[in-house]
Amino acid sequence: MKTNWIKQAFAAGLSMAVLLFTQTSSAQAAPKQKIAVVVSTLNNPWFVVLGETAKARAVELGYEATLFDSQNDTAKEAAHFENLIAGGYRAVLFNPTDANGSIANVEKAKAAGIPVFCIDREINSTNAATAQMLSDSYSGCVKLGQLFVKTVGKEGEYAELLGIVGDNNTWNRSKGFHSVVDRYPGLKMVAQQSGEFDRAKGMEVMESILQAHPDLRGVFCGNDAMAMGAYQALVTAGKMDQVKVFGFDGADDVVRSIAEGKIVATGMQFPKKMAQQSAEFADQYIKGKRDFAQKIPVPVELVTRENVGKYGDYGKK
Amino acid sequence: MRVLRWIIALMVAAGLCRVFPLFHAVPLKTAAAAKAAAAFNPAQFAETFWTGTLLTSLDRAVRADELVSLIQTDPAAAKKKYSRSIGLSEGYFYFLRGEGKILSVSDDEVIIAVTGGGTRAEVSLQAGLIFGNAVRDGTGLLSANDYPNSQDFNDISAALNHLVETSVQPKLRAQAKAGARISFAGCAEVNDEAADLKPLKVIPLQTQSE
Repeated sequence: MKTNWIKQAFAAGLSMAVLLFTQTSSAQAAPKQKIAVVVSTLNNPWFVVLGETAKARAVELGYEATLFDSQNDTAKEAAHFENLIAGGYRAVLFNPTDANGSIANVEKAKAAGIPVFCIDREINSTNAATAQMLSDSYSGCVKLGQLFVKTVGKEGEYAELLGIVGDNNTWNRSKGFHSVVDRYPGLKMVAQQSGEFDRAKGMEVMESILQAHPDLRGVFCGNDAMAMGAYQALVTAGKMDQVKVFGFDGADDVVRSIAEGKIVATGMQFPKKMAQQSAEFADQYIKGKRDFAQKIPVPVELVTRENVGKYGDYGKK
Repeated sequence: MRVLRWIIALMVAAGLCRVFPLFHAVPLKTAAAAKAAAAFNPAQFAETFWTGTLLTSLDRAVRADELVSLIQTDPAAAKKKYSRSIGLSEGYFYFLRGEGKILSVSDDEVIIAVTGGGTRAEVSLQAGLIFGNAVRDGTGLLSANDYPNSQDFNDISAALNHLVETSVQPKLRAQAKAGARISFAGCAEVNDEAADLKPLKVIPLQTQSE
């Protein structure tokens, strides 16, 4: 009788141990939920920071995160969306390639029950993405325009390097700048060309503008990569003191150039802040939150030689 | 017989194309006009908003004397009680209305006192060029969430600023005489409290000499 009791107790203990072990193993083996980070291009350090920060924050929050590079190609972006829908991702942190062309991708994800959170760049829709966290490019460039007039003066020739023409940020920046500068009839824009948000292209375009317009006094660039390219072209032409360069983004190399007195100013966009917040939104959505504002403007701050010490590492120190 | 079948088939196809044309030929001018008509017209929107919504909502604005008094004693409390901000912005807006005594007039501003003694430069009504989004965002009557393309929303700012410059400021300049009293409603944007609060820089939406 006593032996039976011992055997039964031993068997029960063994079963519990096996059960506990299998439960622990299955808990350890449970796959993490996945979040996709789809970025327009990783050929620009600013977007690398945006994508890597979003990915890192998603990982911190306990997700498996994958970074996709669309290489500024809407077709590649569409292929990423097909893959991530099929791959069981629970949310997408999305930096679109095209304000109109990317809508269909977001709608596909939405139809598959996957929330999409746009970062920095907008899509022209208010009912496809769950939320869009967007730099207030227009206001930032109003401030840059005011500084441009103060620095360059109310008279003289200037040029503008536009970004990618299909991107709303390109035009919001341009329109913000022109809402100020166009009020001064003495300031004459002699060239407006796209440098496609690219440093090499920005340099090439600036070289050709300088040949046709040697008396330029300023150049407004729609992003910092083009500003760096334009400055390089000015150094080659020996006109870096004559032509004042203004950028937009808050990239580290431009912030350093401002400190060194080379580039006049940029607009700090806070990519890390936007990326982290979008990952947190995705986490909140997965945990049940549904009431997100559709468009959330993120302020842009003016970085000049006077206040440059406060900025660095893609944000405020 | 076979030829007849072909003729009948072609006639049926032609008839179908007539009823359901595969394409429409439209003169370029007509197409451009249709596209322009469908496009958002910020100037027209701003005019309608100004008269239909903005001017009929001025009574929602906080009293200027209350706001300025609180800013002078406790700016943080004033911000908490009366301001509004957009998105993740640290800057904020006030929507205010009130009366005051004009202390001085220059090309860019009309300085007025709105509290008791009537001697302190407390409000600066902006009389120069207007930039930015204070008029669009300061009242809380318009939201970015209603505009699929932010370019349209930004164009509204420029159109509203234009209305201030063409409809409000000329009247303000005509009324502005040191020592006179004036009533006003307007919006203020505060990005730098040290520079923007004392005096409070207000973009006028309506002014009236008393």
